Amino acid sequence: MAMIEVKNLTKRYRDRVAIDSLEFAVGEGEILGFLGPNGAGKSTAMKILTGFLPPSEGSARVAGFDVFEQPLEVKRRIGYLPENPPLYPEMTVRAYLKFVGRLKGVKDLGQDIERVARATGLFEAGVLDRLILNLSKGFRQRVGLAQALLGSPPVLILDEPTEGLDPRQRAEVLGLIRRLRGKHTVILSTHILPEVKETCEKVLIIHRGKIVAHDAIGKLSGGEAGLEDVFIKLTAA
Amino acid sequence: MRNTLAIARKELTIYFTTPWAYMVFTAMAFISSFFFIGYLSEFKEVQLWARQMGWARLPSEYKNLTDGVVVQLWGAVLIITLFVAPFLSMRLFAEEKRQRTFELLMTAPVRPIEIVLGKYLGGVGAISATLGLTIVYPLILAAFGSSESGSTLEWSTVALGYLALLLWGATCMGIGMFISSLTESQMLAAVLNFAVLLPWWLLSFLTRSAEEPFRSIANHLSFGVQVQNLIKGVLDLKALVFFASLILFSILLTHRSVEAQRWT
Repeated sequence: MAMIEVKNLTKRYRDRVAIDSLEFAVGEGEILGFLGPNGAGKSTAMKILTGFLPPSEGSARVAGFDVFEQPLEVKRRIGYLPENPPLYPEMTVRAYLKFVGRLKGVKDLGQDIERVARATGLFEAGVLDRLILNLSKGFRQRVGLAQALLGSPPVLILDEPTEGLDPRQRAEVLGLIRRLRGKHTVILSTHILPEVKETCEKVLIIHRGKIVAHDAIGKLSGGEAGLEDVFIKLTAA
Repeated sequence: MRNTLAIARKELTIYFTTPWAYMVFTAMAFISSFFFIGYLSEFKEVQLWARQMGWARLPSEYKNLTDGVVVQLWGAVLIITLFVAPFLSMRLFAEEKRQRTFELLMTAPVRPIEIVLGKYLGGVGAISATLGLTIVYPLILAAFGSSESGSTLEWSTVALGYLALLLWGATCMGIGMFISSLTESQMLAAVLNFAVLLPWWLLSFLTRSAEEPFRSIANHLSFGVQVQNLIKGVLDLKALVFFASLILFSILLTHRSVEAQRWT
């Protein structure tokens, strides 16, 4: 069964078309790499899937629920890390995670906070009781990721989760995402191609709001040309 | 309900960890104490004067500490509230939008009305804490003042006046919250809120040379006029309904404004 189903999804801002008739599906437990140059419409598509923005046309379903008709059902099943991690700088990491956990109605919140803090390395680094204001960019990004993982939602939508991380942290976060395979359905947007090769099974490339490729990673990068060449060729012009 | 309380709690946490709330507290305590001292010494002078000239000629509003000091002081606190409330309400939604945390709230499994009510409760908590500082003045009067007949203060009048203060504070926060939901800029929200509250307060004064029935309508809508009876300890049901409906209307408008996010 497809966990995420997108049909004819279009978003227009006045006369500018941000995404144009997107159509794809993501199966349960799959990790989909969402690729595209900056400004291709990746974030817009993700914002629609999470119910933050309404589509101009078309529909999107998550776990069988329409994002626009049954937004609460969809929001209960999605963990979302936006492009800019949505953090309150005046709060400590623990207070922030508690707040998000309460909004999500997470049971055994204390335990779940420890779980996501361990998974994202916040626990080991001992930053749980520090103000978010004083954290480095890498830690903030990880707090954002921890927030998305709270409550183990079946669907994770991660908009450039490795942005601002150093190479070691990047590897850790990607490892974490790989471990989600099978248990969670993940859409991962990035413009760093090697990350996609390491983590995703399928790749969707969008350019100027349109899908230009949607295939298994092996098929796209398996030929003579690597994924980089395919990406550059498809997103040229 | 659980979500509403979680949001209200977060609002209060943030109010009390940022300097704004403390600046507002300081301003309220500082300015209101000046008024308190001023009204108290004026009251004393009038009493001295009456002792020499005869009690019969004492103006009625100086007959006791309640009317002579507390009611006057509440009047001043109303005006101070008008000036400080925009600094508390400005961040409610504007800050969430600027910080992009609005996205977190809107993608959490929470209804827009729960967000609005949570924020409003938090805001009312902050303004109530600010107004709570002024309870100390009647307490000082009760502890150190004296009256020849009965208790020093007429507590029912004091309490009703205080209720009017809270109601006024809650109204300012409601209107401020709606304005804050329209913009990303806190400063703009504060200035706009102020530009709405002050003329509205002075409505009866601004339209005093206008024609009827316009003048009467303006008189009925004016904050300054509506709150007068309550402050003096008269249980004015019309004024209660007036402020309660304004609060309700502000909450509904804010809800619309937040919901509109889903349609743009």
